[in-house]
Amino acid sequence: MVTASISLRGVGRTFGATRALAGVDLDLRPGVTGLLGPNGAGKTTLLRLLATALPPTRGQVRVLGLDPDVPAERTGIRRQLGYQPQEAGFPRGFTAFAFVDYIALLKEWTQPAARHAEVRRVLDLVGLSDLGAKRIRAMSGGQRRRVALAQALLGSPPVLVLDEPTTGVDPEQRVTLRTVLAEIARTSIVVLSTHQTEDVAALCERVIVLDRGRVCYDGPVTDLVSQAAGRVWLADQPDPAASASWRTGTGRYRNVGARVRNDAEHVEPSLEDAYLLLRGGSPEHEPAEEMTS
Amino acid sequence: MTATLAPARPAADADRATFAALAARETRRFAVNPVFLFAVAMTVWVLSTDPGNVTEIDSVNWIPAVFLGGFGMMATFWLTRSMGASEPVVGVTPVTLPARTAALCVVAIVPFACGGLALLRFVQLIPVGDPAYGAFSPSARIAVLVGQIAVPSLGGPLLGVALGRWVRFPGAAFVLFLILFGWGNLVTALSISRPDSTPLVVLRLFAPFSFFTLRGNTAHLTTWRGSPWFFLGWQLALCAIAVLAALLRGAEGRARLRIVRALGVAGAVAVVMLVLAATGGFTHAVTA
Repeated sequence: MVTASISLRGVGRTFGATRALAGVDLDLRPGVTGLLGPNGAGKTTLLRLLATALPPTRGQVRVLGLDPDVPAERTGIRRQLGYQPQEAGFPRGFTAFAFVDYIALLKEWTQPAARHAEVRRVLDLVGLSDLGAKRIRAMSGGQRRRVALAQALLGSPPVLVLDEPTTGVDPEQRVTLRTVLAEIARTSIVVLSTHQTEDVAALCERVIVLDRGRVCYDGPVTDLVSQAAGRVWLADQPDPAASASWRTGTGRYRNVGARVRNDAEHVEPSLEDAYLLLRGGSPEHEPAEEMTS
Repeated sequence: MTATLAPARPAADADRATFAALAARETRRFAVNPVFLFAVAMTVWVLSTDPGNVTEIDSVNWIPAVFLGGFGMMATFWLTRSMGASEPVVGVTPVTLPARTAALCVVAIVPFACGGLALLRFVQLIPVGDPAYGAFSPSARIAVLVGQIAVPSLGGPLLGVALGRWVRFPGAAFVLFLILFGWGNLVTALSISRPDSTPLVVLRLFAPFSFFTLRGNTAHLTTWRGSPWFFLGWQLALCAIAVLAALLRGAEGRARLRIVRALGVAGAVAVVMLVLAATGGFTHAVTA
């Protein structure tokens, strides 16, 4: 049995004078991979490359062994791809069902009965089974994102690329979507970018952190979190030694930093702490390449 | 959660079936477009009224061209642009942009069929033997009607698809409609004053629609220069150019090369047809 895979070798992408991605090497296999990074880090560009929406300016991309530069192979990739873009626009006057049905048609579901059943299935997966007849323009932002996710889930594709799928989605639905994605990831490659570290912590076995177009961490979520062990502490005041600190709901300050006082009250680090530490720019912060596992 | 995660897989070699289904879907969307429905209603209304004492065909036959062709162009432009906001999603499906464009071009069959019906009704109202057709032979009269009623109903919507693929400005189709309408009126007005001028004949025929007869304010009907048959060829070449220009958007590799070559051929054919249309037919305007 051939395992589905994606590989990127020395992939770069520029937009005019702006470098969005530089020398990215990745191998992706079935499972959920989270993509973290600040705004402008290159996450969306990377996802668009994986989704064949954008060609790289240099380097090599292979999705399921196919070359997206070759038109016929690109079509082959698209037959096995689900993509939720960051900004999914919708045509005027379409209901949720009509839109997903239209996309299903473009995904070669030509038999009306099978197509309609599939559309109902994916709308049910994202919790929109009761809102299929509602016009998308009349929906909330979170509901629209779920419509965009529904079309990506059509046919349970071997490659699922999701750009901030949970933005604006309520907590109950986020939990439901995690369950759906975890199920799909048993056999599919799921790559999602998000600013919600708790989604990554709850769902992803692997995390990639991008910064200024380069991979500055690539490895298991648990390994990244463990790097923050002993570097997160509570205090009554913001600690000047911390690279980041903020007031918590208890009124105390959570501090994250590499230089820790001996008398500090250490707490269990979260993925967010580890991410902030990685991004924090503390003096002991290791160079990005050396942190790549 | 009751939904299953094990769907049936679509067949990979479904290109033709997908295209047919997509074309049918777009046709249905076009058929219920309010602009197109208005155009059909206006055409039906005009052609259902008693023509009374029609002394020249040009007082009536521009109406299907304006509504089915002009308004049809605006409707297909809207249809083509309607998925623009969804392009990030639609653009990564297995159906390529040229294939989606081709499906939109198929939509033009609907207004073309309406134009055909309008032509039949027109002939019923004003039989081909009627003096209102001017000095043309019976076959040339048919060519005049096809070129003035049926072909614009096809060409307008095709032009709308091409425009939608290349121009983002939302009012582009309306602006083009005004330009073509204005151009038609301008060259017609110029032709009235100098009907035998060859450059003016070329200018008059250098349009997707042209008059071949005019009564003006006199009691006499003037049949203008120009060959209706070659004008039909010119119009069909314009239709081909519209389709090819639309298909060019997003075409890659060999397909793009073929389309560019075909565009060259269609352009050459159009020029030849225009020259033949301007030099053919009567050598001077015939007034009866």
